[in-house]
This record gives sequence, structure tokens and C-alpha cells, in this order.
Amino acid sequence: MIIPDAQQLKLLAPSEMRLIHAGALRLLSQVGVKVSHEGIAEKLVSRGAQQKGNRIFINKNMVDSALAETAKTIQFDAPDPAYGFTLNTSENQVKFGTGGQALYIVHPDGNGWSKRPAVSDDLKKILSLCDQLKNVDFVTRPVECDVPEDQMDVEKAKIFREYCSKPMNVANLVKVEYLDKVLEIIGNPAHVSFVISLVSSPLVLDTAAGEKFVALLEKDLPVAISCCPQGGSTAPFSEVGELLQLHAELMFGFVLANVIRPGAKVLYRGIPITSNLYTDGSPRWCQPDCIRRVAIAAQLCRFYNLPCCGTAGVSDEAEPSAQGLSEKVLSWTYEMASGAQYINSALGMLEQVMSVSYYQYVIDDIALGIVKDNFKADQSGEISKIAKTATLEALSHFGVAADEKVEAEIDARIRHIENALEPYDEEYIDKQLAVIEKAVNQSGGSTVFMKSARKGLREGYIYRGNRIDAPLNLTAVNKRLENIDGLTKF
Amino acid sequence: MNKDELLNALENSIIMGHLDADDEGYDGTMEGTPGTLEYTEQALEEGVEPQKILELFGRAMEEVGKLFETDEYNLPDMLASAECVGEAMDILEPKLQAGSSSQKGKFLIATVKGDLHDIGKNIVATMIKGAGYQVKDLGIDVPAGDILQSIRDFKPDFVGLSALLTTTMIEMEQVVKMIKDEGFSDIKVFIGGAPTSKKFATKIGADYYCRDVMDAIHILEKLREAS
Repeated sequence: MIIPDAQQLKLLAPSEMRLIHAGALRLLSQVGVKVSHEGIAEKLVSRGAQQKGNRIFINKNMVDSALAETAKTIQFDAPDPAYGFTLNTSENQVKFGTGGQALYIVHPDGNGWSKRPAVSDDLKKILSLCDQLKNVDFVTRPVECDVPEDQMDVEKAKIFREYCSKPMNVANLVKVEYLDKVLEIIGNPAHVSFVISLVSSPLVLDTAAGEKFVALLEKDLPVAISCCPQGGSTAPFSEVGELLQLHAELMFGFVLANVIRPGAKVLYRGIPITSNLYTDGSPRWCQPDCIRRVAIAAQLCRFYNLPCCGTAGVSDEAEPSAQGLSEKVLSWTYEMASGAQYINSALGMLEQVMSVSYYQYVIDDIALGIVKDNFKADQSGEISKIAKTATLEALSHFGVAADEKVEAEIDARIRHIENALEPYDEEYIDKQLAVIEKAVNQSGGSTVFMKSARKGLREGYIYRGNRIDAPLNLTAVNKRLENIDGLTKF
Repeated sequence: MNKDELLNALENSIIMGHLDADDEGYDGTMEGTPGTLEYTEQALEEGVEPQKILELFGRAMEEVGKLFETDEYNLPDMLASAECVGEAMDILEPKLQAGSSSQKGKFLIATVKGDLHDIGKNIVATMIKGAGYQVKDLGIDVPAGDILQSIRDFKPDFVGLSALLTTTMIEMEQVVKMIKDEGFSDIKVFIGGAPTSKKFATKIGADYYCRDVMDAIHILEKLREAS
């Protein structure tokens, strides 16, 4: 699906994005990234980086080169050629896929919903199901296999080969030495791509991930560089501060990618979520504050003309629900409107990234179709209008009637998503850079971020609205699942 | 400021989570004014009994706990107060009679090998220190051998293990087994982290599963009352 320019939302002005980019460059050149992998440090130093102890400092020229060199088109082929597609940074095409590394399967048990650990058979069933869902364009590994760790990569590849006919994203490699075997099983390296969480926030290269990154890029495979800081615990609670850190961590990834292989096929996957500092610090993936931040990350990526891997639809709800559905619709809508091109984790996910449900895949397939239809039907270019109409339609489709309270709640969420609460100016950016530097240089950095969150918390940086609670009518979902053998059994 | 006023100011600075003059405090306006560390030093200089200050710390944290449980305080507020007490204890400890500071017990905490997540661990370490326990934090990605060596050296009453990844849950199981196999059966092992559960704790032989930091503190207090 192509999102026309008129429907491209600009949450930040170009001058504000340039300020974030400039601040990220200061972080890379002055605070640096901790790199304990000697080989990677040597590669970076050989291309102009400075090294002091185990910190590597990246200069502006290196970032400029990486931005220019990164591949601007990436081809995603599939076992069934009809599903292949090309991602081009100059186009607003958007594709959706599954994702996550869920631990549990959520299923109806007669009295509600239960969950059990996910096993290899679930991976087979989910891949089969996704082959039949119209709005799944590619498949990212949704659950792992229940086999010993040293058999995981091979087993997963075998299941993908047998059950998936769409572009495959096997996400991670457990053991880098199995890469050749995985590619041999898949049969065609053009069918497969990966996701790597390269940097642990704040600003530390994950050594094992670095090894895998090198191996994947040496084989010219597409890799989404994933960065998922949590505002208030692994990054500043401030939106501005979190985006500074996120963008710096991702720019480091792009620099490294192009040092390993100039013209690397890498995607920018920025997921700046927040911590629930009202309670226990747990991550919030699909609340208005997170939707806004993730959308801005996509916008930043497109502004710098990089391939954009988005993330949307990772509900915070533990089971299929009206609340979860409303979260997902708003999340998809704003990620689509912000220029994301390859949206991961978009279907099936519950309880942040902890669970998936066969039922939720079908619900999401239907609801995503409703969102797409609203984009097609809209002539106004008002994303708030598309977001509200799509949310109400999706709820109504599953039997949830919208009353004044529901409408008011959706309006409040949309206001939070679309309006900045913090200034994007140099003075404020300086303040946020100082917080990041303090956290980097102090053990227990997360407590620095948490303590500095107190003021923002009182000023409403994270959304605290009402829930939308109502039973979902899942008759149509049941019917679709009954047509696929084994999917209604727990 | 007389002694009573000074102690009131100290108690208030803990409740407001105001560490020192460099800290912006509860509402971002307190930078430049004395905080917990300055008041603690002043109180000692003016001859306030260390034991009395220790009791004040306990009272202040009790109040903070109430404010959190009634939703008046958020997690960072509680954490800031706990950090105030934790750092002030470093000033107070040398003045206390031998053994007083670790009356409540020693707590060793680590994120197990293979896991780089420190959020939950840091919250628990800070809060438990603030609650009056002597805490040794081994950090993240800690090999089982290092945890065992620290148990021998530090002689903790409690060990807390954190994991956020499914893969590191297996490591957690091995660490618990090694602790028990080495004969440290008196040590109570606490586990926590997103993928863990009460059922998992039972399965691997850990003594307690903690849903969150308050859960951990409540379990510790119950154990203390029982003993």
C-alpha cells in the first residue's frame, strides 16, 4: 500500500529533526559508544573513529558517509514470488509483518483466556495461519522453538522453509556458526532477513550481537538494526532525550554497517518506548506517548533517507480485548502516516512482546484492513480523523458500540499523540545530553534516568487516560480459525 | 536551626527524595538547597546520636512506602528516597556501633550471565538498601562462579537473581542449583524478572518469586518478623 504525501504526518519540523540529529552526533563524538569487541573497535578506528579505553568516538564525517552509502533499495523475495517486494527509500510504500519472540500462546479456555508456553508446533501453526492472512506481507519469527539452544537456528529454518511462502525474517541467530546451515536450509538467501539489537541502551555495543551483525552483513543479508530504549529506565524519560539517544545508537549501527560493507542493506528500527513509572517500571509499547515517539523515530529515519523498519501494534494487553484493539489501531495508523515502510511486530502480539494469540492474528488482520480502507477513503489528509474513524469502526466490527466516553477517550489519546509537551530547542537538548552522559558514566544508569523523570512524570509525559473495556464479539474470528486445522485447540 | 528542626528537615528531604544540593528533587525546584547528605552530615556534626538518625531513616521510608501505596508517589519518587537513605548510610555507617547497619541482613544481587538488563535489579538493589539492608550489587551478565565466590566472601542472608530473557532463565536455574549444591541452604534465594513466575521459582528450587520490588520488600519484612 502506498501512503500519499498528503497523508504523511509531520510531528516534528525539519529544523527540529536537524537539532535531534546534531545532538546525536554530539553524543557519538563526545560520549561515545562502549565497544568491548576488539575486532569491531579496530574496524571503526581504521575508518576514522577515535578510541579512549573501551569507548569509541564517531565523527560527523563517518555518519555522513554512512547515510550516503546505505542501500536505498532492499529487495525482499519470497518462496512464492507473488509475495516478494522492494523497499525503496524514496517511496511511501508500507508493508506489514508479524514479530516478537513471544514466550506464551494466549487462547480461550471456556472461562476467558489462558496462556501456556509457546512450542515449535505453534511456530508451524502461526506460519501456516499467516500464509492465509491477507494483511501479513512478511513473516518475522513470532515464537521460538522448544528445542535445545544449539538446535534452535536449524529447527527454526526448517519450519520456515516448510511452512512460510512469504518473505521470511527469522529475526535472530542463536549461534552465528549456524548461519551457513540456516541459509542452506532456507534454500535462497534472498528470501531471508534478520533483526539485530546491536546496542544496549545507553550506548553500549552488545558484543554477541556485534559478532552476528558482522557475519550477516558479510553475506550481504538485509538486517533491521533494532534499538528499543525505555524512556525512564534505559534512556531519558523525556521524549527529546530519548530520541537523541535512540538516534545516536542507530547512527552508530549505520556507521558500523557501512564499515563492514559499504552499501549495507540495513534498516532503521527505532522503538523508543516508555517505562511505566507510575507503578513498576515495566515497558509500555502501545500507549499514546509510545505511539508518538515511535512515529517520530520513523519520521526521523525517512528524513535522513534511510530504509525504515517500523514497529506498531504491540499491545500492552495480556489478552484480546477492546482496549488492545484500540491501542493497535492508533499505533498502526500513526506509524503508517509517519513513513514507516516495513512494519514489524504488527500482528498477533499481546502483553508487550510476551505473548501471541492465533485469535489476535485474525483480529489484527481484520482491523488492519479497516485501517487501510480508511486511508484509501480519506481525502482530507487529517490523520486524526482517519485514526478516530478507524478505531471506532474496528471496535464496532467486533461488537463494541462507541458511546461518548469511548469517543472522548480516543480524542484524548489522539491529542497526546499529536501534540508536543516538550521544547525542541538547543538549551533543552543540552540538558538532556547531560542526563545521558551522567547515566553512561555512572553505574546503575537506569536510576539516573528514573530519578530525572520525576518532573516529567508530574507534567504528564506519559499518558494516563481511561481504558476502553467491553467484550469483543469473536464469532467471525472463530469461524476463520475453524477452517484451519488445529488452530482452535489449545 | 535547632536539632529538632534539623531532624525534621532531614526527614523531609528523604521523603522529597532530595539527595543533595546538586539534585533537583521531587519537583525539579530543589537544586541549590541542602538535601539528605548535607543534613545527615550536619546532624552528626551537631551531636545527634547515629542510632536516632537510623531510626529517622526507617520512619521516613515507611512514610514514602505509604505515599507510594496510596498512589501519591510514583516509582521514581520512591527510588529517589531510597537512594537518599542508601547514600546517607555510607556517611552514617562508620559512626554506628559495629554490626548495627546490617541488622536487617545482607542481600547479594545480580543479573545472571547472558543477560544485560539492569532495570529491575537496580530498582530492587536501591530500594532494599534504602529499607536498611546491606546490599552488594554484582551488576549484570554475572557468571555463576562469580556469584558463588561473592557468596563465600560477602556471606549474604539473601541472594536476588534477575533475568529478563528466556535464555537466561536456564542460567538462573543453574545458579540456584549451584548455590544449593554448595551447601548454602540457609541463604534464601529470591528471583524476579519479566519471564519468571512463582511456578518457575518452585521448579528451579528458588525460595521466593518477587513480582515487583514491593513484593520483595514485603517478603523480607515478613521473614524478619518471623525470625
